[in-house]
Amino acid sequence: MPTLKIDGIEITVEPGTRIIEACDRLGIDIPRFCYHPGLSVAANCRMCLVESNRSPKPVPSCYEMAVDGLEIQTKTQKVIDARRAVLEYILLNHPIDCPICDKAGECDLQDLYFAHNYQPSRHAFAKFHKPKARQIGPQIMADSERCINCTRCIRVCDEIAKAPQLHQVNRGGRTYIDVFPGTEIDHPYSMCVSDVCPVGALTTKDFRFKCRVWFTNGTQSVCGECSRGCSIRIDTYRNEIQRIMPRENPTVNQFWACDAGRLAYHNYETDRLQSAKANGQPVASDAAITQLATALDSVASGARVLVVLSPSMTNEAAWAAIKVGQKLKGMVRYAIGGREAGFKDDILICADKAPNRAGLALVLKTLGVEAVPLSAALAGSPQAIYIFGDDHHLEDVLVKAMDGAQLSVVFSAKDGPLANAASFAFPTMSPYEIDGTWLNEFGILQRVRPALTPTWDARPIEKWLGALTTRLLDEQIADDPAELFVTAMSSVNALDGTPLAASGLDGIGPFGIALK
Amino acid sequence: MAKLVDRPKADLVIRSYIPEVLRGLRVTSRHFWVNFLTRKNVVTIEYPEEKYPYPPRFRGQHRLMKREDDSVRCVACFLCATACPADCITIKAGERSDKNEKYPVSFEIDYIRCIFCGMCEEACPCDAIRLDSGDHKLPGYTREEEVLQKEDLLAKGGLSIAKQGGILQ
Repeated sequence: MPTLKIDGIEITVEPGTRIIEACDRLGIDIPRFCYHPGLSVAANCRMCLVESNRSPKPVPSCYEMAVDGLEIQTKTQKVIDARRAVLEYILLNHPIDCPICDKAGECDLQDLYFAHNYQPSRHAFAKFHKPKARQIGPQIMADSERCINCTRCIRVCDEIAKAPQLHQVNRGGRTYIDVFPGTEIDHPYSMCVSDVCPVGALTTKDFRFKCRVWFTNGTQSVCGECSRGCSIRIDTYRNEIQRIMPRENPTVNQFWACDAGRLAYHNYETDRLQSAKANGQPVASDAAITQLATALDSVASGARVLVVLSPSMTNEAAWAAIKVGQKLKGMVRYAIGGREAGFKDDILICADKAPNRAGLALVLKTLGVEAVPLSAALAGSPQAIYIFGDDHHLEDVLVKAMDGAQLSVVFSAKDGPLANAASFAFPTMSPYEIDGTWLNEFGILQRVRPALTPTWDARPIEKWLGALTTRLLDEQIADDPAELFVTAMSSVNALDGTPLAASGLDGIGPFGIALK
Repeated sequence: MAKLVDRPKADLVIRSYIPEVLRGLRVTSRHFWVNFLTRKNVVTIEYPEEKYPYPPRFRGQHRLMKREDDSVRCVACFLCATACPADCITIKAGERSDKNEKYPVSFEIDYIRCIFCGMCEEACPCDAIRLDSGDHKLPGYTREEEVLQKEDLLAKGGLSIAKQGGILQ
């Protein structure tokens, strides 16, 4: 274990640790452009230069390994001068079009210029011009004049997406990043190149000119596009999603997220169910609940009842749904709907396109309830159908079964065939508006947080069920996610053996909790 | 130490107010007849037909400046909306095909909220928004009339002699 001294502070690190990592651990600020903890080391930006007792010249701290007896100085005049000079060179041909740059506000070059250079340009000649505002892929815009050639994007494509689609063309000051002739950057992780870009050279088509970053509010949540459940940050402004960014989570998605997950929020921007419906006609929420309570009484006690659960529901909503299901009249059977399995790869994307299938299975097991496949359940021509969620495959079969049923109730965020065919449809929250937990395929329980508030009377599933049970049953079922979490998770233990209920909903950290 | 003030008791002549009213009427009538007949030393003007010029630094209704080709100078950087303490500026940005890339598709100023502080003018890196139109926003009958659109703001705008920041000419 090498022991080294950084600014006079001794630190012992594992062999193979870079100096910049040791500095990060000590909380010593080292400016950097090309170093990224999730990528290989390129050491080409020279922004992280530090003084070493083993070298007459400053060394790049992202590349130098920590070895025994090394003494590093990060605050000497030599280092300060080196940083200032490096930034001056980087900014030599930079167009400084920050007012129209989507990165402005979260740009490393802006921040480091103010921290380490802060002088006017001494470059009196015409700047090099490079291609600007080019679309180099379905999601990516390139502005080569802003590029500082850190090659992070090239390394993301090569090492993370395993799709070497970017490269550098030309030499010296005229170098820029480009795709190969006749091709474009179209791999499923193409938007990651925009995340890692320390400047505004690569930006996304989706976020282009949409909102300035300093207006956005970040909500830490989970992506619902596949069963990996990548940690995401939902950036909102004025109750609208502006973009979705990956959030660091070493056990789930490291630093990355796929394009499909980031663009999925568009599905819930239109065609939303905006009021409760009875037989396809909008009715007031309270009236719908009263009418449903009456209709429930008319269901015969021997009727075949089917509850279709969605693997996109939170564990809390699923718990409440099954608890209500157990109190319904008739012979209740449960089926699991959800989207069909799809594209998968060895990087992040899982075949199962539902975020909480594992959690739903856990809730069913905890409550001792069996679920049958959806197609088998529908074959039994149920007389009453309850459908939770709006992303079921076999939608036409479901609609047909609902037509044949005496009573059909749908809890859906989307307006569509299901909501129109139902005897009663209730507007629920989209995956970006719900509160609760999802359990991913690998046993990590993560907190889903609401980033938006619908302007109409949409409620989470558990709130609708709570309102219904107060009308229907003597016993009221909890309708608060935090309360439901404690009830639902009281028998589930985390990896270290502590019951999850002890931590409470707010006790789930940013990286989630690994389950046994 | 408090000073004792002598307060003589008002007699009937003073309490009747008549001599004092007549004295006041004399002053008023003198001014009226002098102004009516000679129109000398009249300090009032006949607003709204006649207006006082505002001082050059008066901050009135905004105007959006134009480029040489008559297009809007604003690049929709949102710095005015960021600086605005009243949150009265709403911009929607769009893409233009020339080298300037970005422009405001819509630019609204809500004059019910605006406090004419001039922070937007101060923040603008392109000299695209100014409050020097010399007009104040006239009142309207509806809330919609109080929200001026890009076209209204451009109508008062002229060519700016300042060099556009950040854009290579």
